[in-house]
Amino acid sequence: MLRGLLVLILSITAFAQKPSFTVGWSIYAGWTPYYYMNKAGILRKWADKYGIAIKVQRFDYAPSLDAFVARNIDACAMTNMEALDMPAASGVPTTVVLIGDYSNGNDAVLVRGGLQLKDLAGKKMLLVEKTVSEYLFDRAMTLNGLRDQIKRVRLINTSDSDIATAFLGDTSANAVVTWKPMVSQISKQKGIASLFNSSQIPGEILDLTVVRTDVLNRPDGAGRKFAQALSGAWYEMLAMMSAAGPAGDKVLAAIAEGSQDTLASYKEQLSTTKMFYTPQSAAAFGASPDLKQKMALVRQFCFDHGLLGANTRSLDEVAIRYPDGSVQGKADRVRLVFDLGYMQMAAGGKL
Amino acid sequence: MPAAFLLIHAKPSRAWSVLLSWTLFAAGIGAYFYVSHARHRDNPEDRVMPTIAQMARGMYNAALQPAEEDEATAPPDNFVQRFFGSMLWKDTRASARRFFYSMALLVPAVLLGLHMGLFPYAGSFFLRFILFFDKIVALSLLPILFIAFGIDELAKVMLIVIGVAPTIILDTFNLVRGVPAEQTVKAFTLGAGDFDVAYRVVLKQVMPRILNSIRLNLKSVMLFLFAGEMIASTDGLAFRIALLRRHMGMDVIIPYVLWVALLLFLVDLGMRRLNRMLHPWFRES
Repeated sequence: MLRGLLVLILSITAFAQKPSFTVGWSIYAGWTPYYYMNKAGILRKWADKYGIAIKVQRFDYAPSLDAFVARNIDACAMTNMEALDMPAASGVPTTVVLIGDYSNGNDAVLVRGGLQLKDLAGKKMLLVEKTVSEYLFDRAMTLNGLRDQIKRVRLINTSDSDIATAFLGDTSANAVVTWKPMVSQISKQKGIASLFNSSQIPGEILDLTVVRTDVLNRPDGAGRKFAQALSGAWYEMLAMMSAAGPAGDKVLAAIAEGSQDTLASYKEQLSTTKMFYTPQSAAAFGASPDLKQKMALVRQFCFDHGLLGANTRSLDEVAIRYPDGSVQGKADRVRLVFDLGYMQMAAGGKL
Repeated sequence: MPAAFLLIHAKPSRAWSVLLSWTLFAAGIGAYFYVSHARHRDNPEDRVMPTIAQMARGMYNAALQPAEEDEATAPPDNFVQRFFGSMLWKDTRASARRFFYSMALLVPAVLLGLHMGLFPYAGSFFLRFILFFDKIVALSLLPILFIAFGIDELAKVMLIVIGVAPTIILDTFNLVRGVPAEQTVKAFTLGAGDFDVAYRVVLKQVMPRILNSIRLNLKSVMLFLFAGEMIASTDGLAFRIALLRRHMGMDVIIPYVLWVALLLFLVDLGMRRLNRMLHPWFRES
């Protein structure tokens, strides 16, 4: 009955106005442009062009994922890992429409007291467990042949909002894994060294804009228009960001304002973020065989850590489809799709 | 007498009372499973509202299998041993330890309140500061707490104490002030010393009310405990909930929340019983 009522209300409002969509984002160098796209009217311009309405909502990261999984919002900015282990693994089929950037040094493993990765066994390490931080640490140890020692490091699950002060305040903590801007804040202190960062695993921590597949496939076609409008607005935004000289700086400063940040600090964050400024570069990355290899590492990590759900017995049960049509996992259980169509349309000027 | 059953003088039968008191439970549980069922029909992999079978399995695993971060040893055969090696027991023990440490630290708070209420110099020295301190939102001082107490057990216990102790101190102070002056005068004329009055006359009669006040603050204690465990920890009930939230492990989170509610209810019940046993003359609770 509740559903019936909801459908009724939805259809009445749809009759009264154009289809409306919500995109959620959280503060991160690669996503803060959403703040400016909304504020400067770029998004509205593109939404009008396609006859739809787009709302932008800022969240903290974890709640934005919850809202997306609960189907309260239609699109969301998230990493490839979370796209796989939150919506895709919760039976909410998800499509990647924009590959925004990859972390190229934004995430780092920091230590005090001149420790090396091999010395970390038995030491205290602060991090937000079960996130890209733990993934980064896992990769750091694996690439240095220390895989068997991972279990012996004492992980302390620490909330990201307090991790910088917790690490700086408690000198008994030996290591920390986190991301920018906390990394910059911690590195400023004396005696802190970086042992490993995400530029050593380029392209494995991707920052995406994803849309629910059922929204994209709405019978009235408004979902596709929504993705097209997002793509059009996104690349107009990125072109403005990458403009050289004072014009670009002005835009960057306005974006930084969205996270209460300064121009200098935002630029510093962008220097370790590999933005795909053009739709061509994003689509080329999406079409490369590298993507499959990197996603294979990520999904194995998710499965090993139980992030795909207690009932998921094989990692093939949450399958990923790539632009060339190939599927990682069981073909009848595709939950995450990389769709380059919207980036290619932007590249071809067809939006 | 139509509609008389809604009036103050109504006398519902025992059967009706029992039935009525469980109605909202039944409605809540019914509504949950209705929505959960509908969501699962829509999306069989839904993790936001697990079915009762999923929650039962989640809880079964939590109560009988070791935590993921622990070394998996050969499982002992009997249930009791398996339970004591389980994730649920590990988390409960860790949280309970912090809980009881902080409860123990509330004893000095009660004594401080008593002294402030009775001894004017102690009152002048502490009262204004504690009135001010009571209004400080402890959670906003986290960075200072980290520097002062580290991020281990002490910080979590201190967060609870800083959050709850001022309330207890002020409440004790007010209760002590409420004891009629005639009684202390009388005790003095009967030859009691200062500490006899404080501990054997005043404390004794405000004690049941103080216990009630601590009971009412149990939820604050739990709230600060949860906040502390979610900020930084390696075990505990809230640690597990924070971790499971990261991948929507609601099948374990919901039973965990109910388990916490049950434990808290049992502590409350225990304190109520204790209060009645120690102060049979007290008839307010």
